[in-house]
Amino acid sequence: MSESDQSLRDRLAAWERDTLAQKLAARPERKSEFTTQAMHWPVNRLYTPLDLEAVGFDYLRDVGFPGEFPYTRGSEPNGYRSDLWTMMQVSGFGTGDEWAKRGRYMLEQGLTGLFLEYDLPTTNGYDSDHPLAAGEVGRAGIALDSLDDMEALLDLPFEKLQRLTSICNGPQTVNLAMILCALEKRGIDPGSFTLQIPNAILIEYTCVGRYLFPPDHGLRVATDALEYCIKNHPNWIPISVVSAQLYAAHANPVQELAFSFAIAKEYLDAALARGIPIDTLAPYFSFITGIDMDFFEAVGKLRAYRKIWARIMRDEYGTDRPESQRLRLTASPGTMSLTLQQPLNNIARLGIQMLACAVAQGGYAMNTPLHDEAHALPTEEAIAVGAAIHNIVAHESGVADTVDPLAGSYYVETMTRKLEDAVFAELDKIAAMGGALHAIKTGYFQKELARQQYERVRAIEDGSRKLVGVNHSVRDEGKRSIAIHKHDPAVEQRQVERLRRLRAGRDGAAVQKSLDRLRDAARSGENLVPPCIEAVRSYATHGEMCDALRDVFGSYTPDASAMGI
Amino acid sequence: MSRRIRVLLAKLGLDAHTIGVNVIAQALRDAGMEVIYSGLKQTPEMVARTAIQEDVDVVGMSSLSNAHMVHFPKVVALLREQAADDKLVIGGGVIPEEDQQTLLDAGIARVFTMGTPTREIIAYIERWAADRANAGDARAERARE
Amino acid sequence: MSEIAKRVLDGCAVSGGRLIRWLEDGDSRGLAALRVVYPRTGHAHLIGITGPPGAGKSTLVDAVIAELRTRDHRVGVVAVDPSSPFSGGAVLGDRVRMQRHATDDGVFIRSMATRGRLGGLARATFEATVVLDAMGYDVILIETVGVGQDELEIAELAQTTVVVSVPGLGDDIQAIKAGILEVGDVFVLNKADRPGADDAERHLRMMLHLRRAAEGAWLPPLIRTVAPRGEGVEDLVEACLSHHAHLRESGRLDAVAARRSEHFFREILRDRAADEILRAAASTDRFAGLLEDVRSRRIDPYSASDALLAAFEPRFEDADGERGASS
Repeated sequence: MSESDQSLRDRLAAWERDTLAQKLAARPERKSEFTTQAMHWPVNRLYTPLDLEAVGFDYLRDVGFPGEFPYTRGSEPNGYRSDLWTMMQVSGFGTGDEWAKRGRYMLEQGLTGLFLEYDLPTTNGYDSDHPLAAGEVGRAGIALDSLDDMEALLDLPFEKLQRLTSICNGPQTVNLAMILCALEKRGIDPGSFTLQIPNAILIEYTCVGRYLFPPDHGLRVATDALEYCIKNHPNWIPISVVSAQLYAAHANPVQELAFSFAIAKEYLDAALARGIPIDTLAPYFSFITGIDMDFFEAVGKLRAYRKIWARIMRDEYGTDRPESQRLRLTASPGTMSLTLQQPLNNIARLGIQMLACAVAQGGYAMNTPLHDEAHALPTEEAIAVGAAIHNIVAHESGVADTVDPLAGSYYVETMTRKLEDAVFAELDKIAAMGGALHAIKTGYFQKELARQQYERVRAIEDGSRKLVGVNHSVRDEGKRSIAIHKHDPAVEQRQVERLRRLRAGRDGAAVQKSLDRLRDAARSGENLVPPCIEAVRSYATHGEMCDALRDVFGSYTPDASAMGI
Repeated sequence: MSRRIRVLLAKLGLDAHTIGVNVIAQALRDAGMEVIYSGLKQTPEMVARTAIQEDVDVVGMSSLSNAHMVHFPKVVALLREQAADDKLVIGGGVIPEEDQQTLLDAGIARVFTMGTPTREIIAYIERWAADRANAGDARAERARE
Repeated sequence: MSEIAKRVLDGCAVSGGRLIRWLEDGDSRGLAALRVVYPRTGHAHLIGITGPPGAGKSTLVDAVIAELRTRDHRVGVVAVDPSSPFSGGAVLGDRVRMQRHATDDGVFIRSMATRGRLGGLARATFEATVVLDAMGYDVILIETVGVGQDELEIAELAQTTVVVSVPGLGDDIQAIKAGILEVGDVFVLNKADRPGADDAERHLRMMLHLRRAAEGAWLPPLIRTVAPRGEGVEDLVEACLSHHAHLRESGRLDAVAARRSEHFFREILRDRAADEILRAAASTDRFAGLLEDVRSRRIDPYSASDALLAAFEPRFEDADGERGASS
């Protein structure tokens, strides 16, 4: 211990004795123990250089410079001083035409990226006229049955669009093929924008549930899409680890990071086995995360994300290329922190979370959920407010003007290190189990999350976790009606009719031939994207193509343990 | 041996969010109930048959998409058809207010929307079970007289 | 004949479900109906399925149901899961895997919590199999808890005991204890497509080889299965049915049935006697005082029991002083 440490220690003891004790004698503290929100780690009254000393903090090793290993301070050398993040918002419902209309509206509002989210029949691989689709068509997203629908979707001013994110993780190769064929028919250069397909099938098995095939086959389909894009559309983002879903399933930050890095390793290993070198592969990996209300846990988490990835790349995959070590991160305020009660309060929550995202260099693109999103799909007013939150943080708060301004904070650096150490310990545990795929099959991830979910609910119910408007400062506002986007029941009927017309007007023999070819490819192990493209061109429907794959792969029913029970 | 409240929890429709049903299952277990979990993507026929085979007291159905309007009433109808409608049928999830009356009219006893405290659900089930037990005692009393 | 008994014998699912419920809850109406249907039972082939957690028992049961249905058997299932020792509640999730059979009239699946009972079965599992038998289910599968403890009682209940193991459970010889090895009639190596399957099979065969075998005895087969794909399931069902045929042909079926009846007679007697003695003890004046003394460690539980039992004289009017209730 250095001399200055000793003198600091003495001064701290003196402060506790003389200054602090007096205050505590006059006013006891609000709680006997303060803890972080998700990890329940004790929060000290005060952090000093002594705390950094205790974790062995070393500036160059732990933090360094932005744009350099270990990227704790950000992936870009100058943060947001050249480019702000891409401002995105989720919006998707109805039919292709309706989505495109709303997409155009959003681009006019100054947003530069759009999300394509599909309805449940699509993500589960059923056409709109399937019995299981009844009541769900166009509800939670867009109904996609055929190339016709995708063409309607992509009726957008592509000159304003920087990024399109298409989220359909189960039958990823099918959706990808539909996008490729629709771009071709509309004459749009695939290189003119960035298509992001999360391709996050292992997350689906862990917590979301939109899968079609058993996990091994699910991973194969995802790897096919990844491989195809890397070889043919190198400017796209064909894989994203959507750890936001883990967060939304109430994973704490350590679980979220450890599970998602373990999952990323499964994708990496599957693609490496196809002969794609690590330095070609790694730069495609991006992580999409959501953050919670505890500001410092959020900041620590985002910094730890970049640092851990860089270390995994260097130490486990043996690469020193900056492009491989530099994590592409998209952080966003999380819908799970929003409350159904008193939805206007959510605007404050979104502002704080957006601030944490920006101050910790949350990433290249961020989306704001909308304050009424906990209710249903958002209204136009909410979309406008969401865009304003981005702009207020970007242009009024000043946090985007300097890089990682919280670096060196005794608390923030202690938190970042603590998270990092805990994540590596959990990663070791998962590796000892045989990796993420195995942990998913045995239900380890699911059970951990189920426990966490129950604990969170209990904490809110017994008041140990405060939620304004829910269990704290509840305003009696009587019966308050909130504008919720109304679903038009005619959407389903229109979509089913459109699908029937399509089926009647196409060359049935050609469709069957292309589906047989798809089954053969599924059996042989060749990449599924080209046969999917052929099938899309013959106007095989989304559900028919998924059925063809199910014929070969089988479908997946998880047992209770793999559902967390 | 004493009577335990048995509850069937089922997810209907295509939505696969299990957080709500996971939390309710654990809360009911901790309240001393036996929870039979039948899994995802259940059809009304599966739910009704399961409720009968398991002879549960309570059928709890969850939907976070639109499945409730299509499927929940069907479960009640199927249970009635098979003279197994002495069960408490409740629904939960994201269910807009304007749909709730339709569900109540169809025989769903109560709709718990997302965010309902688990103790409220537990108390509701326990009260129903106690009322039924009292009614049963009264019936037995009359039979003896 | 009571209305519910009649309907159970007609195979009515609502009544069958209700009767099992009454028996599970100790409702007196249950025993009344059980007495009526009991003489009409004893025909079903009871197959117990036991094995450590993670062996894939539920998935295997699901596949076995499917195979038995192709052979036109009517299949009853009792799946046992543990109750929480803290709340007494339970989450029973075994049937998730079997739900494709939920709407098949030829299949009846019942989940059951142990309600504090050890040994892998619930107190009412035996009664449930009687009800399913009365309803006309001719093959009844009983899935034990599978928490890794010794679950030998299944062998008393079932005519055929299937012991499921999987590769890679570690040194503990796939968690199969010597006891269960002795009572298994059919052995399954499930998830046989996993690495280490050959080693596990060798190890199991060696252990089975060490098993005492009498002249003309049944030689338990070892079957490799991959339950989700149905691989090996036909062989497994064949082996179970052959075992049943072997019991019948060797004249041992009656002996097995007699042993089961005796076992459950003793169990029921013990349970009911214990309940009555406890109830009687609790109603004595001394009980509350002794209980308080035990709780505060002023007296040890043995001496407290002695103090109460000193005043207890079990007597059967037609018995010659034999204490049948405490075998």
